[in-house]
Amino acid sequence: MRRCNNSFQAYRYTEMSVLVLLSVLGVVLLYLGLFNNRGAIAGVGIAGLLAAFVLVAADWHLESPLFNGIIQFDTYARSFSLVMIVVTVLLFLFGIDYYAKVKENVAEQYALMVFSLIGGLLICSFTNLVVLFLGIEILSIPLYILAGGKRDSFRSGEAAFKYFLQGSFASGFLLMGLALIYGATASFDLAAIEAFSTALVGGQDMIFLLGLFLTIAGVAFKVAAVPFHFWSPDVYEGAPTLITAFMSTVVKTAAFAAFYRLIANLQLPGAVETMLVVMTICTLFLGNIVALRQTQFKRLMAYSSIAHTGFLLLAFLGTDARTPEVLFYYLGTYAMATVGLFIVLTLAKRAALGDENIRIFRGLFQSNPWIAVATLLMLLSLAGIPLTAGFVAKYRVFVISLTQGYLWTTVVAVVMAIVGIYYYILVVREAFTAQEQESKPIVVAPLNWLVISICGAAVVVLGVMPGLLRM
Amino acid sequence: MEEGIITAIRIVPLEHYILLSFLLFSIGAAGVVFRRNTIIILMCLELMFNSVNLLLTAFSAHHSDPRAQVFVFFIMLVAAAEVTVGLSILVMMKRNVDSVDVNQLNRLKG
Repeated sequence: MRRCNNSFQAYRYTEMSVLVLLSVLGVVLLYLGLFNNRGAIAGVGIAGLLAAFVLVAADWHLESPLFNGIIQFDTYARSFSLVMIVVTVLLFLFGIDYYAKVKENVAEQYALMVFSLIGGLLICSFTNLVVLFLGIEILSIPLYILAGGKRDSFRSGEAAFKYFLQGSFASGFLLMGLALIYGATASFDLAAIEAFSTALVGGQDMIFLLGLFLTIAGVAFKVAAVPFHFWSPDVYEGAPTLITAFMSTVVKTAAFAAFYRLIANLQLPGAVETMLVVMTICTLFLGNIVALRQTQFKRLMAYSSIAHTGFLLLAFLGTDARTPEVLFYYLGTYAMATVGLFIVLTLAKRAALGDENIRIFRGLFQSNPWIAVATLLMLLSLAGIPLTAGFVAKYRVFVISLTQGYLWTTVVAVVMAIVGIYYYILVVREAFTAQEQESKPIVVAPLNWLVISICGAAVVVLGVMPGLLRM
Repeated sequence: MEEGIITAIRIVPLEHYILLSFLLFSIGAAGVVFRRNTIIILMCLELMFNSVNLLLTAFSAHHSDPRAQVFVFFIMLVAAAEVTVGLSILVMMKRNVDSVDVNQLNRLKG
């Protein structure tokens, strides 16, 4: 009885309140849009997110099962939630300038991002496969709409439709996988499924195996692992830049948190292990090689994102106690660098009248030396050059995969990391090349300057002192 | 009454349900991949979801466990939400290109 009471207390004061707070926040934002309080939208959004941050952080290390134990808001879930909330705050700060010239439906964009974030919080804290499915859908459905945010742009519409179509298709496979896992184990509960997989070791269960395959395929779609990556370059290119930034940071973080939570304690059958290894190698290879011949910055970032998916998957192979920590650090620092770069892209794109070729960065150092330096730092971090956070992150991943005995996979990853440096350096070169002919200068609004500086500084500070960002 | 339905579901062996669901699921998936008309594609997606619903219901009856049947309601809800969004994206696309053929969507490449 007493235990019951305790869990009820926790139920009232912690993550339940975060979910409620964020849902209410989304509705409030919609109302602000309805009554034309445009100036207040971003401010209220940021205030709400900061309140959510405090609520999540307040009960650190407190583990409380929710809703009859289908959600467990443990340290793992809290850490990833905090990263997602912080990144969303940065994106909202960027949104003030990004949506300044947009006439209508601004509130909806913010509100949908908040709703999507709720899905993200759900899937990094699930302990029941039903919540995994619902969370992924709550995360995705707002994104289908957001990707088509520019209503009169054909490319935006195409991105939205492709994302919707392939996303629903993947959801179908995920569902089939969940149904088969249920058929084999008679439970949606993650702990029961883990127990089933432990009891199964050495044995064969086709239904369970097929279920795992399909479920992992469905989740791999969300993290854009090869061969489930086809949507990502098109959607990244067509979607509005702010949404692209949201997808490559918040959504990726959430999807990886969910992926690891799903397979962390499962005794994976050999075939599934092999599938993961093959997926990792293909992802590393394809992401880095195809990125080499990209000239559009957003597509380059899409393939770079696929490449980073490969490195993150590498940390999954085998069961290592350090994996959550490493995933957390990697995703946090990756998100910082990516957000900053997409803001720089928006500013450069504006000056170049909508062009997205990496040439538009030319002359950045001349006009805005500090922004150029921050861009350099973020690109170097993504490339994984020492003294930046990206290096520490990659290094830790390699250490894990080596101790788990995946020697050749690690060798492939290291080679691909070196190949990857090339295309980041291409962008750096453009940013530090002087511009030949006069064109529109790149204008940086103070808030954007602030966010870019935060991101640029973060990747260096976290690179020098990795201990600052830990679970 | 409810017991009667469960018994009725159990009369058919589980394998038959699994095969039927796989068949429906494959028809749906093939439709999504091969059909060019977007409306048909949406219907095929629905078919995929519903084949899973059928499978879950069958498993639920055979395990004597109601949780999967509750999940079916969630899936129906999510599928409805998803199709709503899909149809509105479709309307937006129709306004831009005046067609519901997916082959029109080919401008993003590289």
